[in-house]
Amino acid sequence: MSTPPDRIAAAVAVAQEALTGGRYAVSRLISLVEDVRPSAVLPRDAAIAALEDAARERGHRSSILGVTGTPGSGKSTLLAALAGLLTANDPALRLAIVAVDPSSPTSKGALLGDRTRMNVVGAPERVFFRSQASATALGGLAPSTFQVCRALALLFDVVLVETVGVGQSEADIRHLADRVYLVIAPLGGDELQYLKAGIIEVPDVFIINKCDEPASRSTYHQLRASLWLARPEAGDGLPIFRTSARTGAGVPQLAEAFITDARSHSSSVATKAPHFFDAWVIEEWGRAGKRQLQREGGAERFLAAHEGFGRAQLAFDAAIRRSLQG
Amino acid sequence: MTTQETKSAETPAVAHPGSDTPPAHVIVGPDGQPTRDRPWIIRTYAGHSSARASNELYRSNLSRGQTGLSIAFDLPTQCGYDSDDPIARPEVGKVGVPINSLDDFAILFDQIPLEEMNTSMTINGTAMWLLALYVALARERGAAVDKLSGTTQNDLIKEYLARGTYIFPPEASLRIIAEMYEFCLVNAPSWNASNICSYHLQEAGATPVQELSFALVNAISLLDLLKERGNIPPSDFERLVGRISFFVNSGIRFVEEMCKMRAFTQLWEEITAERYGVQDARFRRYRYGVQVNSLGLTEAQPENNAWRILIEALGVTLSRDARCRALQLPAWNEALSLPRPWDQQWALRLQQILAYETDLLEYPDLFEGSVVVEAKVEELKAQAREEIDRILGMGGVVGAIENGYMKSALVRSMSERVSRINTGEQIVVGLNKWTDGLPSPLLGGEDGGLFTIDASATAETLANLDTVRHTRDDARAKAALAALKEAARSGASMMEPSIECALARVTTGEWARALRQVFGEYRPATGVDGQRLGLTGDRVEQLRARTDALVDVLGHRPRIVVGKPGLDGHSNGAEVIAVSARHVGFDVIYSGIRLSAEEIVRSAIEEGADVIGASVLSGSHVELAEQIMTGLHAEGADSIKVVFGGIIPLADFPKLQALGVAKVFTPSDYDLIDIMESVTSLLEESVVDAT
Ligand code: B12
Ligand SMILES: Nc1nc2c(ncn2[C@@H]2O[C@H](COP(=O)(O)OP(=O)(O)O)[C@@H](O)[C@H]2O)c(=O)[nH]1
Ligand SMILES: [Mg+2]
Repeated sequence: MSTPPDRIAAAVAVAQEALTGGRYAVSRLISLVEDVRPSAVLPRDAAIAALEDAARERGHRSSILGVTGTPGSGKSTLLAALAGLLTANDPALRLAIVAVDPSSPTSKGALLGDRTRMNVVGAPERVFFRSQASATALGGLAPSTFQVCRALALLFDVVLVETVGVGQSEADIRHLADRVYLVIAPLGGDELQYLKAGIIEVPDVFIINKCDEPASRSTYHQLRASLWLARPEAGDGLPIFRTSARTGAGVPQLAEAFITDARSHSSSVATKAPHFFDAWVIEEWGRAGKRQLQREGGAERFLAAHEGFGRAQLAFDAAIRRSLQG
Repeated sequence: MTTQETKSAETPAVAHPGSDTPPAHVIVGPDGQPTRDRPWIIRTYAGHSSARASNELYRSNLSRGQTGLSIAFDLPTQCGYDSDDPIARPEVGKVGVPINSLDDFAILFDQIPLEEMNTSMTINGTAMWLLALYVALARERGAAVDKLSGTTQNDLIKEYLARGTYIFPPEASLRIIAEMYEFCLVNAPSWNASNICSYHLQEAGATPVQELSFALVNAISLLDLLKERGNIPPSDFERLVGRISFFVNSGIRFVEEMCKMRAFTQLWEEITAERYGVQDARFRRYRYGVQVNSLGLTEAQPENNAWRILIEALGVTLSRDARCRALQLPAWNEALSLPRPWDQQWALRLQQILAYETDLLEYPDLFEGSVVVEAKVEELKAQAREEIDRILGMGGVVGAIENGYMKSALVRSMSERVSRINTGEQIVVGLNKWTDGLPSPLLGGEDGGLFTIDASATAETLANLDTVRHTRDDARAKAALAALKEAARSGASMMEPSIECALARVTTGEWARALRQVFGEYRPATGVDGQRLGLTGDRVEQLRARTDALVDVLGHRPRIVVGKPGLDGHSNGAEVIAVSARHVGFDVIYSGIRLSAEEIVRSAIEEGADVIGASVLSGSHVELAEQIMTGLHAEGADSIKVVFGGIIPLADFPKLQALGVAKVFTPSDYDLIDIMESVTSLLEESVVDAT
């Protein structure tokens, strides 16, 4: 794979510009990270490496916090409120939000509507918001979400990821985020089904939003009861917050928790990358890919042997092609 | 603009068959003699440029015998901004009169006797403020407030759903409406505190059943709230119910529309009697005014609109039992610009011919006993009742606004409508059928058939605003605003504090800002999520293949930010374009109406959009294009393409192109796949350019 050196230089330049805070540069950097063309792989690695160098130099630490839950439970509205409180609490804090929405299976296009709720009061200049299309109809993470968050975590102090938590993606968000928050609206039948379907295993923190609605009281007790059954080991230790993004009730307390979590967790990409490399291999090469990766000693080793996620992808492509031909 | 208005008297009784009574086709007057009905109120909606220009217009209309006014306000006044607010500047005086303070109101009503006037104001988000200004003006002039008569439109539910000049969240909005009813019932008993509107819902795509059910459930939610608040003595509740009036649409399917009006009348009778136990028949009467449908009026072959307007007028006048009390007609050039005075006069003549030349008003109801009409009415009623129950089950209109149910339903209806027009299933003459025609001589004049606003009028408005700010007693203004906020927080009525604000020369922007600080601002659901077009086939598939191919060229799926910059609330076009873009494979960012150019630029920058599609129908496209292009340039993002759509006169195309706008679309571009092909080509070409 030959990528002209000037493309690599251009990618590094975008990364440098993004480091000095250029909003459009950050956006172009994300586009580069999302870029599906093979020609983008090496420039992407180079840009991320430049960000990593810079982060190491200045001792940058950051965390990735995931917010998931059913559509309409109020995730985006809550995130807007939290963004306001988080930036107000720390006048130097810079925050990125990535919101993932489902794509249409027929047209493949997506309607990215989370931005509608992003009316950040306070310091919008320190908040960067980006929507992503999941490329699957169910939602969850987009193929590039990991890499995008990884890049953003090198630029911003906190990265918040909003996803619609369904099916496969439950596990994904756990691997991506340092902490996973689940937002549910006062329990209707849908929410209950959703909890029972397995998501209850995933979150570190539960949030019952829309507590301005009468049904929210019983929801708290129902949720507690479900947790005793589903996660006996965690017992009463699992935090449940009650909020109303509409009235603001409970939001400051939740913001406290986010601030504490952001401080006490520092994202380590090294520990997360293998899962997403695995996921990529299966997505691209299916079962044959999985076997090949086993032969290579697993994702962690494979990544360690190749400098950069993209380089590893290219190397894996080459390796599996060879073995399929041979 | 010419306007004329005639008051209708109490309607005389209809004769019933009997030995010594006249035959069934005759109306009998109070004197027992055959008679003919008085016509409905004939009105025209007017106002533009400045308070002074509008005052001159109103006075000239009044001198020709008009007895009432129907005031159009500009968008800053409707959305609660002063004329010098950055978001207001491009819109001042464009689609109505700008009002910043009581001093502007004094100019607007200069030499107009308030006590004798019937003043209808199309005002919603700031309705309480405008009523406060009217009352304050009366008090300053020594006019009797209890003699004031007129209407503040003040239906915020339809603003969230269709019209877009909301400010506060639904609960706060409903509280304001309720406080105005409570104030008026005591202080200004002839004032209609609000008007339940389904007119705008049809303009946003509503079907007859949706119009019926959404309007009636809106009225129910309002009355339930007023009852629950308990500030109206039970003895007055019937009178309160009697004050509820409606503003309805009448579309081209005029038989069904006539049936809809009968259904409205009967359902309202039912609701007032059963739900509210109203005894007095006068207070159960369904009172309504009409503006006929404008959505179906075309830019293509605009002369055809004259016939459409005539037919639509029949739907609400033919049936005596369900005849409107007031009628406003749009003009033949509706899809081109605001009407010129002659255009309004031509529309007015239609009403006069219908009311005075024809024999329409000589007959009792023509459809009584018609099996066909009866069956249709029953069907509409049954479907409407079902929908009303569904919405009441969601907690009434507030619930169904907040969960986005009603908005989604409208966007779905709209998407279905445009799909039917696109496939040819719904014929629109001159637009998708019989499109070849001779050039219209109506467009041939020097002005091209368009109305243009005198841009210099803004200077006077701004100067007046400046004077008010410098000459008023600042301490009084501050105290008045503090008292307003206190009332808003405590739950006390905000009406008197608003009147004091008016007297203290508080400005429109200050009044609204004070309440924004207490209640916050609301952004309702866009309704576009999950919507689809009913368009399939080769062209759609080919276009999807092209957007797919763009993924390999751009590195990502093509991305469009569909934006509604400024205060313009016309959302139909933007919604349809957002849905269409997704339908053909774009990733779409659409965040609803009323964003600043700056916010739209920021969306495009952060989202890595390939193209911004701005939709502007308010006439401010040139200023807004300037702002967007400047914003993009400042961020070094000139490579993001910009296209515009909306009511954009041909004469402005070169101006937009000179600013760097790549393509411009207007209502004649009704074929959505054509539009999306054109936007896709733009991206394909830009890739070729770049390599
Ligand atoms: C429907 C309508 C309304 C509805 C809006 C409902 C809604 N939610 O959208 C209601 C009744 C609420 C309304 C209210 C008002 N209206 Co109005 N309205 C219209 C009307 C009749 C049709 C517009 C429409 O929806 N067409 C259907 C859509 C699908 O077409 P479209 O928007 O043109 O979009 C097509 C193309 O233009 C293009 N396109 C448009 N945008 C974009 C964007 C992109 C990216 C692309 C690619 C293409 C594209 O593609 C679309 C598909 O075909 C027009 C007159 C007319 N017949 O055109 C007046 C009109 C636009 N309204 C007008 C006015 C003045 C008002 C008011 C401001 C009056 C007042 N003073 O209060 C109010 C206030 C509204 C507000 N808050 O801004 C004027 C504007 C005058 C001007 N520009 O000089 C018009 C022209 C009527 C007139 N002649 O006076 N209105
Ligand atoms: N009543 C109430 N509504 C809320 C609350 N939070 C969000 N909403 C509304 O719920 C809807 C969905 O919110 P959104 O943030 O888009 O949800 P998401 O899909 O989970 O991101 C919107 O109409 C919000 O205004 C809340 O606390 N109370
Ligand atoms: Mg969301």
